[in-house]
Order: sequence, then C-alpha cells, then structure tokens
Amino acid sequence: METDEKRRSEPALTGEFRLEIIQPEQLDKLPPCRAGCPSGTNIRDWIAIIAQHDRIGLSKEEAYARAWSRIVECNPFPATMGRICPHPCEADCNRKDKDGAIAVNALERFIGDWAIQQGLSLPVLEADAKPESVGVIGAGPAGLSFAYQMQRRGYAVTVYDRHPAPGGMLRYGIPDFRLPRHVLEAEVDRIVDLGVRLEMDARIGMDLPFSELRARHEVLFVGLGAQAGKDLGLAGESGVDTWTATEFLRRHNSGEDIPIGTEVVVVGGGNTAIDVARVARRKQANVTILYRRTRAEMPAIDIEIDEALKEGVRIEYLASPIAFIRTDSGDLTGIQVQRMRLGEPDASGRPRPVPIEGAISTVLASTVVNAISQEPDWSALEELHRGDGWLRAADQQDGAISAGGDITGLDIASHAIAQGRAAAERMHARLRGLPEPQPAPNGTAIDGEHIETDFYPESFRVAMPEVEVETRLSDPHLEVSATISEDEFLNETKRCLSCGSCFGCQHCWMYCNAQGFVRLESPAPGRYFVLSLDACEGCGKCIDVCPCGYLGTLSAQPRL
Amino acid sequence: MTKAPRTGERDPARGHGDTDERPLASDIARVLGDPRTWGSGVSKEGQPGDGGTFGETVADNLKLTQGSRVAVIGGGPAGSLFSFFLLKTLALIDTEVTVDIYEPRHFDHCGPAGCNHCGGIVSESLVQILATEGILLPAEVVQRGIDSYVVHMDVGSVRIDTPLHEKRIAAVYRGNGPRTSERITTEGFDRYLLDLAVSNGATVQHKLVTDVKWPEGRPRVVCGDGAEATYDLLVVASGVNSQVMHIIEELGLGYKTPSAVTTFIAEFHMGQRLIQQHLGTSMHVFLLDIPRLKFAALIPKGDFITMCMLGDNIDEQLVNTFLNAPEVRRCFPSATVPTNCCHCFPRINVRKARKPFANRLVLIGDSGVSRLYKDGIGAAYRTSKAAAMTAALHGISEEAFAHQYWPACRAIDRDNMIGRLIFGVCHLIQKLRFSRRAVRRMTFLEQTTPSSRRLMSSVLWDVFTGSAPYREVLVRTLHPAFIGGLAWNLIAGNAPNARVREDKTMVS
Repeated sequence: METDEKRRSEPALTGEFRLEIIQPEQLDKLPPCRAGCPSGTNIRDWIAIIAQHDRIGLSKEEAYARAWSRIVECNPFPATMGRICPHPCEADCNRKDKDGAIAVNALERFIGDWAIQQGLSLPVLEADAKPESVGVIGAGPAGLSFAYQMQRRGYAVTVYDRHPAPGGMLRYGIPDFRLPRHVLEAEVDRIVDLGVRLEMDARIGMDLPFSELRARHEVLFVGLGAQAGKDLGLAGESGVDTWTATEFLRRHNSGEDIPIGTEVVVVGGGNTAIDVARVARRKQANVTILYRRTRAEMPAIDIEIDEALKEGVRIEYLASPIAFIRTDSGDLTGIQVQRMRLGEPDASGRPRPVPIEGAISTVLASTVVNAISQEPDWSALEELHRGDGWLRAADQQDGAISAGGDITGLDIASHAIAQGRAAAERMHARLRGLPEPQPAPNGTAIDGEHIETDFYPESFRVAMPEVEVETRLSDPHLEVSATISEDEFLNETKRCLSCGSCFGCQHCWMYCNAQGFVRLESPAPGRYFVLSLDACEGCGKCIDVCPCGYLGTLSAQPRL
Repeated sequence: MTKAPRTGERDPARGHGDTDERPLASDIARVLGDPRTWGSGVSKEGQPGDGGTFGETVADNLKLTQGSRVAVIGGGPAGSLFSFFLLKTLALIDTEVTVDIYEPRHFDHCGPAGCNHCGGIVSESLVQILATEGILLPAEVVQRGIDSYVVHMDVGSVRIDTPLHEKRIAAVYRGNGPRTSERITTEGFDRYLLDLAVSNGATVQHKLVTDVKWPEGRPRVVCGDGAEATYDLLVVASGVNSQVMHIIEELGLGYKTPSAVTTFIAEFHMGQRLIQQHLGTSMHVFLLDIPRLKFAALIPKGDFITMCMLGDNIDEQLVNTFLNAPEVRRCFPSATVPTNCCHCFPRINVRKARKPFANRLVLIGDSGVSRLYKDGIGAAYRTSKAAAMTAALHGISEEAFAHQYWPACRAIDRDNMIGRLIFGVCHLIQKLRFSRRAVRRMTFLEQTTPSSRRLMSSVLWDVFTGSAPYREVLVRTLHPAFIGGLAWNLIAGNAPNARVREDKTMVS
C-alpha cells in the first residue's frame, strides 16, 4: 500500500482516473456517556468489562470487581450515585432513539451494592507515606472525594465538618427514601477505612480558627458546600411555619420532628423543592409546589417530578408568591400568588416569567418551604469569601488551598466529586513535582451518525423496580426504588453499543476480502484484532460494517 | 414467523428423537416411490452411527420431521431460495420446521454494509424460471432492463441487440445501492428474496455466525454475541467472501473450500440522464488486450454505473490501467471517468468445493459450486433448489446429498469445464488483433443484416450473460456455418481494403 499512498498524494493528470481507496483506522473515540459524565468516569469501558467478560476470559465476579475498581478511580460512591445522580451520561446515549438509553444509573447502583455486599476495599494507589498533612473542610461529596484521592496516594488526611455525621448534602440534603443511610455510610466508611480522619462537629472559624487549620496542614481543601437557603424577601416571611429548604431537609434528615400542619407550600422548581415536597407528603400533608415558569423550564429531573406527581404533589406552574397571609395572632393561613406568563428569554436562555396584571390568587398554607436557591454559609470564613458569593476553584492561596463542590457554584454531586478528584490530582502533582495532570477528555463524542444501531438486536431498557405509592407514603423511610436483578444487570450491560470502541463483533474480520484483520489471542475490550494495512485493498467495507464506529477512515479523527 | 410445533410433539429445540412420530417427510416420499415399503409404514433401513442418538437408526434420524430445526448461514439468494423451497415443499407434506436464516447485514443499508458484492445481472431466462416458481421479480427491484450489449475492442465497437425476447437481462442491486446513494429508494434483489423466505415461514436472525461446532454429530451455531443454538441441519450459503466456509472446512467433515479468484466491482455516479445519453440501455463489454485482464463490463443501473472486472490478480494498478484505456473513457462524458463512490475486490468461486455436504450439512451457492464467471444467481437458484428438495424429500444424510444434491452440482461443474475452454478462446481473441477484427465484422454484419443467422451474436450474448449453458454455446460454435462464417470474416475482416471500408461504416 506504500505505492498507493504515494500515488494518492500525487495530483492526478487531467482526466486521468485514479481509484479512490478508503483505508480503515482503529481508533478509540470518546463515547457520549463519558463525555456527559461530570465525574469523568469511563462508563463505556467499565460496562465493557462486564458485557464482554466471557470473551476476555474473566469470571462474572472478576469482571464485577474489575469494573468497580474502574469506577472508583473517579467516583468512590457508585451505590450512592447510582441512586441519586440525574445521570447526564444517559442523555446522549446513542441507543436512546432505538429502544432506550443504557440504564447507566441502574447499572452503577447494582455494581455499587454488589461491592458493598462483598466488602470490597478502595484501591490504594501509592503505599509510601507522604510527609505533607492535608486538611479538608466539609465532609460532603467534594471534600470526601478530595480526601479519598489524597489518602490513597499516601497523604494523611483530616476532614472537618460542622455536622455530627459525614456525607454533607448527601446525608442532610437528600431524603432517605431516595438514598438509604446505610448505603451512604458503607461508602463513606470505605474512605475512612483507608485512614482518613474525621473531625465532626467542628465549626471552622468558631470552634477552630481558620488560621489554626492553616498551621496544622500544609494543604487545605475547601468543600464547604452551599448550606444556607436564600430568603424570598417577602413580608411576613419569618416565623416558625416558614423554612428554607436546606434547613427543613437538614432537620428532617437529622431525625428531628418538624410540625408542618396539613397544607404545605413549596416554592421553587429544582430537585430540592421536589425532595421537600415528597418529604412533606410522607408527613401526610397536602403539598403544593409553586413554580414561576412551566414544567419545560423546571430544573428538577423529570423522573423526580413524575414521582412527586405520582405521590400526590400538586404543582402550580406560572405562580410566584408575593405575600404571606397571617392571622392577627401571626398564624400562617395562606400565601398570595401572582400568576405569571412566559416572556422573552432572560440571560439563562429560559423565558422570563412576567406577571399578569391583576391575576392574584391565594393558596392555603400552614407551612411554607422556600427552595428557590441556596448559597455557601460564609460565617467565620470571610477571608475565603471573594465578594461574588462563590469561591472560585482557581482562587488558591499560594497553591496550598484548593476548593470544589457547591462552594464554587451549585451543581450536582457528580460534579462535586469530579472537582474533588481534579483538585487532588493537581495538588498531588504540585507537591510531588509531577507534570500537570491531563484534563478529562472533553472533545466531541461519537454520535449516532457513526453507529449502526440496526446491527444490534432490539432489547428494551431495564426499569428500576418501584414501590407502590400507598406503601411509600405509609412507610416514609422505605426506599422508593429497588436495585435491578443480576440477570437484568447482565442483560443491560450487553445492550451497550460500545460507541467508538471495538467489542469483538468480528464483522470486519468476517467480511474483509483481503483478510486484513487478525484475531488477537488475548483480547481485551477495545482490542480484538490487529489490522494489517499491507493486506488492505482499500474498499472501506470494514468501516461500513463496523457497527460501533471504532473503525474510521484513515485520516484525522478526534482522538481521546 | 417461526412455526410452533404442534401440541403434544417433542421439544423443538431438540428437533429429533421420539419414536411416536407422524410419518416423516422422506418416508412419505420413499413410501410413495417404492412399492416394497408399502404396508410397512416407516422403513428401518440405515445404520446407527453419526447423528443418531441411542436407539435410533441413521435413517430415522437424518430426516427433517415435524419440529426440526434448520439453520441457514447467509441470507443471499442461495440461502433465501433454499429456505423458500424447503418451507414450500415441506408445507405440501404438512411438515412444519423452524428455519433460521443468519444474516447480520441489512440489505436496506447502502454501500458494502448491505451489499453482496456482485455485478447484479439476472438473465431473463432466470427471471422466467423464478416466475414459474412463483417468484415474480417486481419492477422496483429491477434497476434497468438491458436490451443490448455493446462490445468494445481496440478495433472498434459493435452493438448486439437482444437475440430473442426471453434472452433479455435485468440489472439489479444486490443491496440497496452504492455507498453514496439514497437509502430505501428501491428494493434490493437480496432483500426481496429474503422477505420472500420470511413470508414463507423463515426467521431472520440478524446475527453474525462466528463459529460452528459439531457436538454429538449435530451442528451448533455460535454467534458474535455469544449466543449458541443447535440444529438438525446446517445449510451454508455464505458465499466465498466471508470466513464461514473456512470455519466449516476446519470442522473436518470432508469439505474443502472452492478455489476463488479476485474480481473487482465499482460504482460510479453519473445520473440517469447522462447514463442514458452515454450508455443507453446497453451493457458495455470490453475485450481489450491489457495484461491480466480477462473481461470487464459497465452496467447502467439507475443513477449509477456498475463496473465489473475479471482477470488474474486484479489489483488497483490493473483497475487504473483499464479505466484509463481510451475505449473505456469514451463511454463517459468528456472522456473522463468520475471518481468511484464505492468499490471492492470480491472473490468469486471458480472451481467447485470438495464435498459440499455431510450428514446434517450442505453448502450451496458460491460456498459449494457456482457457474464459472457468470450467472452466480442462476447457480444459487439451482443448487439451493436441489439441496432443499433433497433435504425435504430424501433426507439430510451425506448419502442423500450425494445421490440427490451432488448431481446438480456436478452438472454445473462439468459445464464450467467447457466454460473454461470458451473463455480461453475469448481470451485468445482478446490477444489477437486479427481475430478481434473478424469477430467484430461477423457480429456487425449479423446485426445489420436482418435476414442473417445470428451465429456470432448469440454466442457472444450467451457468453456475456451466462444465460445458456456453456455446453450449448460450444455446440453452436462447432456448427459448420459458424466455423465457415468465422473463417470468411477472418479473411475479409483483415483484408486491407475491407478494413478501410469497415472503419467507415461500423462506427457505433
């Protein structure tokens, strides 16, 4: 083919015919699941270990363990995230238009639960102890992720948190019917088992001055989260019957009883609002969510909204509270609501809610929970506060302080875990004088154009089993969904299209007239054949029959 | 589409075994055909052994019976036609079997992913034969009815019109057109036949067979996704462009893959209007004296031109040499061959496979025996029908295939021997300029003289289309009138003054 290459590169004489040849290139592409995962987990590749385990000579259990190890490289909370993550990894799955996206969330949950049952320990990366001491403020997902990544590299890590138990928002923000405490605790305990020290009930800036913390540790990570709910700023807002969502959930999740009466109004359209509403339903109250736009603009995950509706939560769209209605004695009886319509898009791109003049009504309320937004609680940490409300990850003081999680801007837990890991990798590189770590691949993911979904037999997406609504409401702590069965799990892994990575389907080998593909004796996901371009006849058939888009035309392709 | 076994009958997954069976298909055939068995019901001839389970005899076991399972690897014409004939025949004797056709490709994909790599010429005689079988090729499957050939040689070109109505040919796409064509614009030939098999009860398994095992004398098909299934009969119709036949060879059942040579197929996009203008409704055949080139043709099909090439060790260089020959370039607008949009170097069967059958195994179409260079679809039809009839009526033992199926293959193979001789002569004509002149002159005069006997025209037509057995073609060339005509044209076509005169009149 050397001569062909040469000939191709020379310009053809006018009118002279030169056969246009197409040669294949084996090139791993970025799959949409990985591109969509904030924590950067290589989802396709860990699924591949299980889906292809018999072809690569692994037992089921060996494959599970290996896949789990791959996940916890990035995310030490698979059982937790398998329950609560809004799974943006599934949004662009190339299978979604065929018979449903791969249920990555359900798969992650299964493997996470399996690892807890097996009592697997998190893998240590570097056994030698490092001299630097590391302090972490906040035992939430960002702080624990940072602590885990540093501890497994040999650093002595202490995590400080003002709450009595670790977990941050995972424990105090998410109700147990979505994330049972024993699951979270098992995954946090595994991090503690690596040697991470926890100092709970430690209020930095009050019990423990920040300066002392700086003196104790060479390195600090600030993963304080955003624990303070914002006020609506309406008259009559303060009272025993009005709550911010974060405080409401913190109390509820700490086991405190909150008297709420029979009519609960929740203001806001995010996941926190939905969580509050569902908790209130479990306290047998009638619940109304007021949201100033429509369902299409609601930031909460669709499935959570659906679950809330199933549980009997009412949602009033295009409704914004304008006043609290109280009796003379101060008891809350209702909330005055301004009806809205959608106007021109605002800075966020969503249509701006515009009041409809004169359209004001009243909604009954014995308790109002305000879930419009939350922000970091800066009390006693003013020296970290830069004035715009958030701490930027780049705001590092002499490189020894880094930050991550909600303190840098509200986002999902997966994002916080990713920030904790990225900060740890950078910090480790800085302390050890290593090259700057490579950022996670963020190129364009391989799209459906390059995947021949017809080649994959139809197989419908697994659904997580769910408890009946009546049972849920009568047993408030009962987990709403259940982990899929092992058979369902195995079948779901086999649904993965393996976008951009060879899964050994053998089409190229089978149909290459020139026998240019040679099977490898010990294959691995992504590596089943050796390609010989010397034998290649340039017809490009292998590229056309490659269902997963791994084989591309020999030329520039987006590399990982 | 899979038919379920009747209530009270054995497990279809086993597909064999119990003795309280209804009369077997082959028993019916035998009983009806052999008076000695009348009154005795099921005969018990045969020996225990390969393929039989304990307490059964080979003859009992090596038949398709109610609930039997048949795997067909390959959903091209051979596999689809086999399934069609088998299911149709068994239905006549009230026997329901499962037929799984393993075909991973989707023929509604354009380009190589949905193609079966051939020129896509179906002779009108085959169209007629298929019609008598109840297979009516719909108009949308046919890209363009071809009514003539134009033979291009360095000494000039000559046009040969359809000698008789039934000798017309049809051009079809085996898949759904070349790489750049629009999807689902027309129905491909292979898709049509596969749908026909499905409508008769076959099931398509869109899976790639990656291995075949033979546990306890029974075929076991292994797919790319790891799924495995055991069958009573394995029919291999994979052609010679996949690894399946090598897998079968390695089973050690006596099968040896056929010899194959490399051919070349390419597609060029030109649009219907330009094609009509430059190629018309003719297939253009080239007899050029280019080393290693045996035969090449351009076939108009819809918006595309299909190019086929036969030769020795065909490679990119030979393709470029051919497509830059002035005789070829003349067929394209501005004498410029457009860039190929799709091409491949498929292999074709040129010598029969050794023993394309065994107990519970038969190889049909190109995997077994095909016609030399031409009419592969016709050969697929013949071998698939012979194999299906054998399996339905005579059993699935090696012996049954040897007696009932192999003769059909042998007839094709013997004709191919004659074919080799004819192609040898054609090659000689290609090499010798004076003989090219004679052929051209004789053909031209036949075509332009209404009353003349079309001796050379019909020989060329049948050689190019493969629509008649090679033996028949040979017999015609041995006719004194043909030999006399050729001898006269050898002299007249090469006389100096005659050449000048012809060059003025025979411009096509």
